[in-house]
Amino acid sequence: MKPKISDDLSRRIFLRGAMGVSLFATSGCEKIEDFLGMEPQEGPVVPPSGEGVDLVSHVLNRLTFGPDPSEYARVKGLGVDDESAVAFFLEEQLSPNEIEDKRTQRAVRRLEAIHAPLGELYEYKEDHLLEQLTRATLIRATRSRRQLFEVMVHFWSDHFNIDISKKECRWLKVADDREVVRKHAMGNFSALLKASALSPAMLWYLDGRENRKSGESEKPNENYARELLELHTLGVGGGYTQKDVMEVARCLSGWTVRGKDRFFKGKVEFHADAHDDGAKVVLGNEIASGGGRKDLDDILEIVGMHPSTARFLGRKLCIRFISDDPSEASIKKVAGTFLSSNGNIKETLRAVFATQEFLQGPRAQKLKRPFEFIVSALRGVRARVSSEMDVVDYLIRMGHAPFQYPTPDGYPDIASPWTGTLLWRWHFAIALARNEVSKNIKVEEEVLIEKAGGVDGLAASLLGRNPSVEEKAAIERSGEPLALLMASPGFQWK
Amino acid sequence: MEMKDTGIISGNGDEQATLVVVFLRGGADGLTLVPPVGNSDYYKVRPTLAVAEKDILKLGDANCGLNPAFSGLLNIYKEGGLTVAPGVGSSDKTRSHFYAQDLMEHGGQLAGGWLGRFLRYREGRPPSALSAVALGKAMPEVLRGAPAATVMESLETFSLGSGSGPTESLQTELGALYGAKENILGPVARDTLQALGRVERLRREDLPPENGAEYRDDSFSNGLRQTARLIKARVGLEAVSIDLNGWDSHIAQSSLISPLMTLLSEGLAAFHRDLGELMNAVTVVVMTEFGRRVAENSSFGTDHGRGGSMFVMGGSERGNVLGEMPVIETGILVGPGDVPVVTDYRDLLSPILIRHGAGRAMDKIFPEN
Repeated sequence: MKPKISDDLSRRIFLRGAMGVSLFATSGCEKIEDFLGMEPQEGPVVPPSGEGVDLVSHVLNRLTFGPDPSEYARVKGLGVDDESAVAFFLEEQLSPNEIEDKRTQRAVRRLEAIHAPLGELYEYKEDHLLEQLTRATLIRATRSRRQLFEVMVHFWSDHFNIDISKKECRWLKVADDREVVRKHAMGNFSALLKASALSPAMLWYLDGRENRKSGESEKPNENYARELLELHTLGVGGGYTQKDVMEVARCLSGWTVRGKDRFFKGKVEFHADAHDDGAKVVLGNEIASGGGRKDLDDILEIVGMHPSTARFLGRKLCIRFISDDPSEASIKKVAGTFLSSNGNIKETLRAVFATQEFLQGPRAQKLKRPFEFIVSALRGVRARVSSEMDVVDYLIRMGHAPFQYPTPDGYPDIASPWTGTLLWRWHFAIALARNEVSKNIKVEEEVLIEKAGGVDGLAASLLGRNPSVEEKAAIERSGEPLALLMASPGFQWK
Repeated sequence: MEMKDTGIISGNGDEQATLVVVFLRGGADGLTLVPPVGNSDYYKVRPTLAVAEKDILKLGDANCGLNPAFSGLLNIYKEGGLTVAPGVGSSDKTRSHFYAQDLMEHGGQLAGGWLGRFLRYREGRPPSALSAVALGKAMPEVLRGAPAATVMESLETFSLGSGSGPTESLQTELGALYGAKENILGPVARDTLQALGRVERLRREDLPPENGAEYRDDSFSNGLRQTARLIKARVGLEAVSIDLNGWDSHIAQSSLISPLMTLLSEGLAAFHRDLGELMNAVTVVVMTEFGRRVAENSSFGTDHGRGGSMFVMGGSERGNVLGEMPVIETGILVGPGDVPVVTDYRDLLSPILIRHGAGRAMDKIFPEN
């Protein structure tokens, strides 16, 4: 895949998006769309027709939360062949701000609480904030055209996991989602890392706010320092020692956040008198005494661009996008790009998608996690959703509700921890196809079949390939094509 | 794939240990459930509500006993199958039902409940389709975060799909498709279909309780009865949550909670009898968010307090009184006059969870303990 793209082409892609909007704007149903927060986009449906998953379907499976029925044809049309089509698609997705996405933004804008400035978040009830944030997450994953961006938001939300139940994270996670994860999801890792280190919610979640050294007897709180090395940067076995953890904690001492019972609640500040200002040595690097608040920048520079960090992140990205057990060669390539691009997330993603393993390796062999399963089903059947919360019950039953993972390592990204969810996947598939999830979620099976040119077309559009002989027979015998398809093994994998 | 119900679902010969959590919502009065013995102050502060000394079911020479409503549990205690724990509670000082229940179900300021984390992080293979079941209408906080949890009001209403229309042909076809391909979902699908098949068979056969056990006809006893059926059907059940509501006795306490104690006692006794030797692999924990104020109020009720009483029933219990009933005298009482918490609920639960296979996961289940 060639990452280069001419100005002319980006304009073309942009125009396609813009044309889409103008069509909707003149259709006179804007009000209805507003009401149906997740009213799906329309477009001609031309299902995939290969025996196996082709490159376009593969890319859609991995870079998005699953294709909308018309997405395959749209992407296919971006190039003269599959390779150029996915290259254009990738470039489109790597510049999320240039993708027209007004309908999603409009739907999310109605969720007033999550747009409140930091200090004002405390004026909302915690449950209300969680609900609004969850709804926004579902709307964006399901509706946004900036799919790769939303996938990366998910990736970083796990990487810098914050359990919204802990103390003042109940209010502050909303700001973390907005100012840390979403702001930097496709930017630069160093900037993301620094934003996370100084995120009010993170200072609460990993006790950074308690990390102070005002006198001889006081010991810094090591919680954040340890997770910074173990989970956010170098990774276990990344070559740091207990001594390094303690030294990092010393460097970060004095940073804290104002609690809700004070003025300027949620404000992050540095208290020089609580900072250990002596000399430190971190991973062999000397940090001179008297550095004060600058210690934080020094530390993040050392750990953020460490070769172990490149490897750790490279591996996680490969696990996310390629396979549960990615090859050493892929990890090396991605890690190398991470370092040479100075932590540029877009460049690093390009490297992931340019690996042989991604392009030619096994397809449809990453298990969709429950959130991805549900969102891919909603997208795949163009469900009209007027209350996003109605699917949250299913996410809770499958143990994958957003922002509700208790430990700092984030929801697992490999198959084995999720296999027990099969019963509830089937349950959801059947309920969705029968319009029994709730009265707020509507699916029109007959329209879907008609638009896809028949039951086989519907199958191909959901599976990313022609159904096998066995699948065709099973669909026929079941009498419920859509329910069977979404519950079938083929739809569990991406 | 044929739906037989002779295979093994849970990978360990289906000898699955099952933990049943009974939550008494509303804050059950610990001093009525487990009244102090030989404590004259108790009668001073509870002139109308105290259990008469002669009526208390004595537990050896412990300084507390069982309410006479628990006569059905006394034998279980004597046989060594019941632990009685007075003065149990959490660090919650809000005395708010909402906060105290959340705290006790979450096991700290963490997402989801401790039972959910137990299932996610415990050693051994991942939970299966029916590892976790909540009997009731909604998912209780304690089970939130489990990798798979099923909410059902009863076996009769539980089915694949949301209840309308048959799913047999879908199930048959799914069995064929999942069985055809070699990947990790194949065995899981087989187990899931087998579990569904067993539930279906349970429904059809509706076998009567065993060992002469007789369940009352109320939703709590029904929940326990369904639990016993699922345990006997070996569907891989590891964790069950059942609520018994209505313990918030501000007014006319005795008339309110006496019938509840009878429901609790008779339900547990029937369950114990029904399961017989299977109780060896079953533990039932009875907990409540807080106990109530020591002194009764002017409307013959009691107000929200701290330390409460809990029970643990199961084959691996030793049948004893855990800790001691705290002395009921001014100066010892906490806050506005509450029974102090002498045993943190997590200390009561930890050895049970370890017995049920938590292994090294305890620091994730109760990280703040």
